[in-house]
Amino acid sequence: MAELARQRSTGHHMIGRRLGHLLDSERVFGYTLVAPAILYIALLVGYPFAIALWFTVSDATVSQPIGPFTGLANLQNVLNDDIFKRALANTFIFTLVSQALQMVLGTTLAFLLLRKFRGRRIIRGLIMVPFTIPIAIGVMAWTWMFNPTYSVINWIGTHTGLFTEGPNWLGEEIPAMISIIIVNVWRNLPFNAIILTAGISSVPQEIIEAANLDGANFITRWRKIMVPIIAPILFIALLFSLVFTFTDMTVVWLMTRGNPVNSTHVIASYAFVTGVISGGLGRGATISLFLFPAMLAGALVMLRTLKARTLD
Amino acid sequence: MAATTTQRPKSAHSAAFRRRRLRNDILFWFVLSLFVIFAIFPVYWMFITTFKQVNDLYNLDNNPLIFNMAPTLDQVKYLFEQTDFVTWVRNTLEVGLAVVAITVLICVPAAYALARHNFPGSGSLGIGIFLTYLVPPTLLFLPLSQLVAGLGLNDTKWSLALVYPTFTIPFCTWLLMGFFKNVPREITEAARVDGCSRLGAMFRIVLPVSIPGILTIVIFAFTLVMQEYVYALTFVSSSEEKMVTLGVVTNLIRGDVFFWGSLMAGALIVSLPVAIAYNFFMDTFVRGITGGALK
Repeated sequence: MAELARQRSTGHHMIGRRLGHLLDSERVFGYTLVAPAILYIALLVGYPFAIALWFTVSDATVSQPIGPFTGLANLQNVLNDDIFKRALANTFIFTLVSQALQMVLGTTLAFLLLRKFRGRRIIRGLIMVPFTIPIAIGVMAWTWMFNPTYSVINWIGTHTGLFTEGPNWLGEEIPAMISIIIVNVWRNLPFNAIILTAGISSVPQEIIEAANLDGANFITRWRKIMVPIIAPILFIALLFSLVFTFTDMTVVWLMTRGNPVNSTHVIASYAFVTGVISGGLGRGATISLFLFPAMLAGALVMLRTLKARTLD
Repeated sequence: MAATTTQRPKSAHSAAFRRRRLRNDILFWFVLSLFVIFAIFPVYWMFITTFKQVNDLYNLDNNPLIFNMAPTLDQVKYLFEQTDFVTWVRNTLEVGLAVVAITVLICVPAAYALARHNFPGSGSLGIGIFLTYLVPPTLLFLPLSQLVAGLGLNDTKWSLALVYPTFTIPFCTWLLMGFFKNVPREITEAARVDGCSRLGAMFRIVLPVSIPGILTIVIFAFTLVMQEYVYALTFVSSSEEKMVTLGVVTNLIRGDVFFWGSLMAGALIVSLPVAIAYNFFMDTFVRGITGGALK
């Protein structure tokens, strides 16, 4: 095996030397092929991002997109805005609570799916359904299930004796927040479970058996063996899941529009209301810029794991 | 665990052992079915709402979980005849094709160069492109709405054909890089020695064996167009320019009145193809996200 690798690397060297003078053309070839992708991203991600930054320091509105420079006035306004503060807090609450639930339920589900049983493929397919249907569609189905008059959840609850009279799910503050978290968990649980399943099944069976012989119980096995081995995957799954939940506005927008009395807004939905519905581009952009740190942190973590991987 | 139980004399423990296994099995299926119900109940709810008669749907004395009157196709008919549903489907197909074309034309060369050639910055460029996948639409929708308006694409479906590749290019390039890396270098090197050009090696050797990868990005790009919501909501407001998902969740609400039957009918019709496509594509998707960390 090692011999083969050595042969291959010397082979590389020889070809490398022989084609040495063509290195320039490899460079040209490479850049030419990548250029369209870079250009597209620069024009439709980089450039808009620069405009967004300009919006945050100007009084831009839909009727007057090139507004006068106002410095940090937008930021000040936003920071003094109670609805914004609530939206910021909500974004963290929704993201962290749903992520915690997803990790616990996702791990449970992953272990269930790892067991060999008849019909496993079908069950796996059914479990994946929430992740595969368009998010706006799934949210609409839940909105209908939470309907104040015809809520099927309340019907089931009252008929099985779970509660005497269900809440007006989307019309009261706390139930509305719970509803949003439920839908987030519903949507992202399959993704977490499937990645955890893939991770756990990649742990070599011998290691687990060796640990068993040494008398390690389930918790120790999980913490000391599984988690360290699957950490890179776990990390990436976590990151994607966090960033997507943190920056999503679909769930909140379709279910509550931020109501009752603006108590369920998240950063993204409030930016939409301010920037698109009321046309305050400057303030809207300032609000959505608060999503950027989350994204940046995510990107940095990602970058480190990816770099580490491309090295080996 | 398995090792220790088999070592024990079977007869002494078998009754207790069997009872415990039965209890485990029951618990297992019970918990698993809770998960399954949680996952698919909304879809069942869409289904039953779609085919119920209006009098059945809105009668509070009825059991909502079953058909109390004969099922009907009225809601589906309403969707097709009284709304722009057919137009939305056609728009989705047109924009979907455009996005697929842009994605393939841009991603294939980029992924090929990044996966199979070393040039200064190629590693960072690959990662950099992938990271833009993390940029959320909610960060860019305001400036992009101005950009779209500036190009005269305001309130047209083509604005979406222009912006959707910003999602598909990063992810699909990354996915394709994995496919291209799996083609052994020796093959292209041999072809090059035989006088094949770089471009020739790409078209004649690597692309033909990477068809599954290219198909995967086609499915990904297309399903994205079917399910995206935020940009669609921001850029398009005329009914006849809408994508199918946006149309279903916005146009079947008139004022405060929700046409739940037809809304769920549309939801069901959109969900089925996307869900089926994703099920085939799921494992590749997971591998793409985990970036081949699993072997």
